[in-house]
Amino acid sequence: MALAAKQKAQAAATSGAARAADRSKLFDERFLRTLEHLHLVSRKMFAGNLRAERRTRKVGSGIEFADHRTYARGDDFRYIDWNLYGRLDRLLLRLFEEEEDLHIYILVDCSDSMAIGNPPKLHYAMKVGAALSYVGLANLDRVAILPFSDHVLGRLPPTRGKNRIFRVFEFLRSCEIGGTTGIAEAMKTFVSQHKRRGLAVLISDFYDPAGFEEGINTLRYNKFEPFVLQVYDLKEAAPNLHGDLALVDCETGELREVTVSKSLLEQYKREHERYCKQLEDFCTARAVPFFRTHTAIPFDELVLQIFRSGGFLR
Amino acid sequence: MTWLGPIPASVVAMAAAAAAVLLVVAYIIKMRRRRFEVPFSSLWKRVLEQKDANALWRQLKRWLSLAFLLAIVGLVLVAALGPTRGARDPDARSVVVLIDASASMKAQDGDPERKGLTRMERAKERAKELVDSMGGGDLAMIVRVDGQATPMSRFDGDKAMLKKIIHELQPADTPADLPRALSAAADALRGRQKPLVVLISDGAYSEQQLRQAAWGSGGAEKTGEGERTGTGTGTGTGTGERDEGFGGKELAAVDLSGIDVRYIGVGSRSENVGIVAFNVRRYIDNKAAYEVFIEVQNFGSEPAKRQLALYNGESAIEVKSLDLAPGQRIREIYRELPGGESTLRASLRPGDGDGPGNSDPFPLDDQAWALMPAQKTQSVLVVTRGNHYLTAAMRVHDNVFWEHTTPEAYDAAPAEMLQNQQTGRVYDAVIFDDHTPAVMPPPPVNVLYFHPTGEHSPFATRGTVATPRVTEVEESHPVMRWVEMADVNFIESLVFAVDKTKGDHALAYFVRDPIIVARRENARKIVGAGFSLGATDLTLRVAFPLLLVNSFDWFAGDDADLVTTYTTGKRFRIPLDGLVKVNEVTIIDPAGKKTKAPVVGGMATFYGTRTGIHQILAFDPEDPPPPPDGPDPRVPLATFELAANLGSTTESKIAPAADLVLGGKQLEPPAAFAVSARRDLWTYIVLFVVLLLVVEWVTYHRRITV
Repeated sequence: MALAAKQKAQAAATSGAARAADRSKLFDERFLRTLEHLHLVSRKMFAGNLRAERRTRKVGSGIEFADHRTYARGDDFRYIDWNLYGRLDRLLLRLFEEEEDLHIYILVDCSDSMAIGNPPKLHYAMKVGAALSYVGLANLDRVAILPFSDHVLGRLPPTRGKNRIFRVFEFLRSCEIGGTTGIAEAMKTFVSQHKRRGLAVLISDFYDPAGFEEGINTLRYNKFEPFVLQVYDLKEAAPNLHGDLALVDCETGELREVTVSKSLLEQYKREHERYCKQLEDFCTARAVPFFRTHTAIPFDELVLQIFRSGGFLR
Repeated sequence: MTWLGPIPASVVAMAAAAAAVLLVVAYIIKMRRRRFEVPFSSLWKRVLEQKDANALWRQLKRWLSLAFLLAIVGLVLVAALGPTRGARDPDARSVVVLIDASASMKAQDGDPERKGLTRMERAKERAKELVDSMGGGDLAMIVRVDGQATPMSRFDGDKAMLKKIIHELQPADTPADLPRALSAAADALRGRQKPLVVLISDGAYSEQQLRQAAWGSGGAEKTGEGERTGTGTGTGTGTGERDEGFGGKELAAVDLSGIDVRYIGVGSRSENVGIVAFNVRRYIDNKAAYEVFIEVQNFGSEPAKRQLALYNGESAIEVKSLDLAPGQRIREIYRELPGGESTLRASLRPGDGDGPGNSDPFPLDDQAWALMPAQKTQSVLVVTRGNHYLTAAMRVHDNVFWEHTTPEAYDAAPAEMLQNQQTGRVYDAVIFDDHTPAVMPPPPVNVLYFHPTGEHSPFATRGTVATPRVTEVEESHPVMRWVEMADVNFIESLVFAVDKTKGDHALAYFVRDPIIVARRENARKIVGAGFSLGATDLTLRVAFPLLLVNSFDWFAGDDADLVTTYTTGKRFRIPLDGLVKVNEVTIIDPAGKKTKAPVVGGMATFYGTRTGIHQILAFDPEDPPPPPDGPDPRVPLATFELAANLGSTTESKIAPAADLVLGGKQLEPPAAFAVSARRDLWTYIVLFVVLLLVVEWVTYHRRITV
């Protein structure tokens, strides 16, 4: 009897992971049509902008003035601002924003906590990641996909062109998933492996016991442009629990016995909201675009919302 | 605080300890919790850290819950001890309420104002009033008094329960046995404080019964003085005093010393005419006819007119008007009545006129029943080589039609010969005269053998005896009734080996050697005579035709001496006519109620409580038991009937006794009970337990645990 109950509990615990692991039907024909629609909408939104004209912070040989800096030996004389030299009697060099292909890194959290929910948050995150990739590829940006948990689980090298979306699908379908969430470690690995700076779209539930701050800061400090997208399930924000329960952390396996009462549940909801708010405040304070969504919102709606906000493509 | 509960304190203490241990263990055992997977337990950790401030209260709540349950169990056990507030009430009484449920309590004169109310119903009302007036400390026991004394409750103060018991009492059709009831009450009250007996009755007891009471030293006068002082004043409390005062006037008297006995009379009328005797018998010389004896008595104080009707089955065969003076007893004998149904019923109806004697409030003795043994014709086959003595004797019996054949013809085609050519039916009986056939007639054909020999004889023999004389006859057996064989001569006779397991019964002996035997198999009867008719002078004696007639009567179940009419209130002992192996019979009383009765010594025995025709069914004990509900599919081996009548002049004399003199002392009516201050506390404890359960329930659900 006890054995049967144990097996049942184990089956219940693994059912979410099993569901998340099955990604065969994630990107079907209908999904592709939705992506095409999103692409058309995005073109209308960004009409007038040139392809691959996204300005990077990298100062180089572009045509648009960016800044001055003090002349150093070996600098090209052609970029010395002689007018300033006449007024200030100082040799200053004119800097221009370098125009280059934009690199978009889609960082998808594939830890065990992302397997929770119905549909699993991971599926939702992958769909959003694929949609953003498609728009990026269609804009001739270079898109790379990096699943991670407490380390980078795999890598789809930067690629360009609409027709490469199928490689994205294939990669997302077959990439390794699972493990505990460790954003900081994963981001450190990521920045060390990618010298090309670019837009780093971080899709995660940010349920990291070590905290989310260090991971985002790692991106910022390494000149990446972080774009934070938090995904959660409504059931985990407001769980429908009551009674004496043994709560098991799906990543650490940590067991916590609790008697869930109405007041406790309310307290938990508040704590969850507070945690999400912390993340939002952190991003807002640092001018990091932030979006929070739950899996009940259709992913295409989310993507359009992202486009409208202008945080993804400018 | 006193404790009146039925459970000893030590037992309750042990139960309390066991229950407490079980409860604590149940609380200690950790509940297996439902597992639930969460994505980020750190959030819960933070919440629970805040909650930990309330941890003490949570623990306390669980301990409170345990404390509640322990308190509940403890209180229930305390309630089982029957606690009462205050000390034992010195005024509390132990009361035995004797409610007369004899036949006379069926008289419909319980209240002159309410027509048709029986004395029993009125007695129950009075008993309920008595119970209502009981104080908190008073305890009462209800005893039903008919032919037996049946305690219906233990001593109890639960008025509702006592009244329910009283309400369900029903009178029987038997006389009352007052001494037995008083004896039971005295035994029940022995050692109890303030013993009191209240007799609720119409006082219809014989003088002999009323004399059977002893009141101890001082006699009735002293007791009488004591009674006048009011309630609660007995003449003594100890059994020692009782013994001292036990006089020698009535050895069978009930010792009532120290017991306060009170009487509540019911009934208002005394007019009653009843049948006090009803008998029927067949004539010995003409069994087709019978005569009936009926005795009717007017027990009232007014002249009465009645119509006496006699029914055979449902047909009235005699109707006669009777004029009875007060106290007059009339005997009626109806002679030479023709046969018919076996059930006879006598019935009394009020005659014309409106006089007080022409109405009858007691219908029970207006009917009486009697049964006649069934009289049927039999066809008999005589297998003989020619015996004029036998064929001549066969002519004696009016209801026997016989044929004869030779042994050779019978042996050639036994099955064919057993068919009566005239009626086309099988013969009822066969006589084998000096012949023992290889094929015995199958049941239910009855058989009479003269000199059965050889291996085909149904009776085992122990040899032969020369020139025997009959030294002993089983006169109680129907076959040997009036058969005188003392001077009969025999040349030789077989000596039978009687096997009682087969139903054998020895009927005549030479010293200790049985020479005539009878066997009752389940479906038929066999008689065997060990001698040949050609080797005895029995055929020249009167005993010979009598032996034949008796045998045929026994075969037909026509037992002239069979007692079929009984009086209620006695133990009926019904002979089962030689049925063997049956150790239990089923009795169906006149109301159709089935009961089982044991068979002891070949007689079914049970206590008769109802008037009317009873059926006794004897089943083969090897038959499978009938289904608990639904009809009984078994076919009885034999069915008997008996008639039961009241037949008690004591009960028919329904004149109520306003005052009852018991053992020389006039019984007083009971005074109202004084309400004592003592109160049972168990109800309050149970209410408190319910309150605790509600609180526990609320706290449990406040936690919302599952």
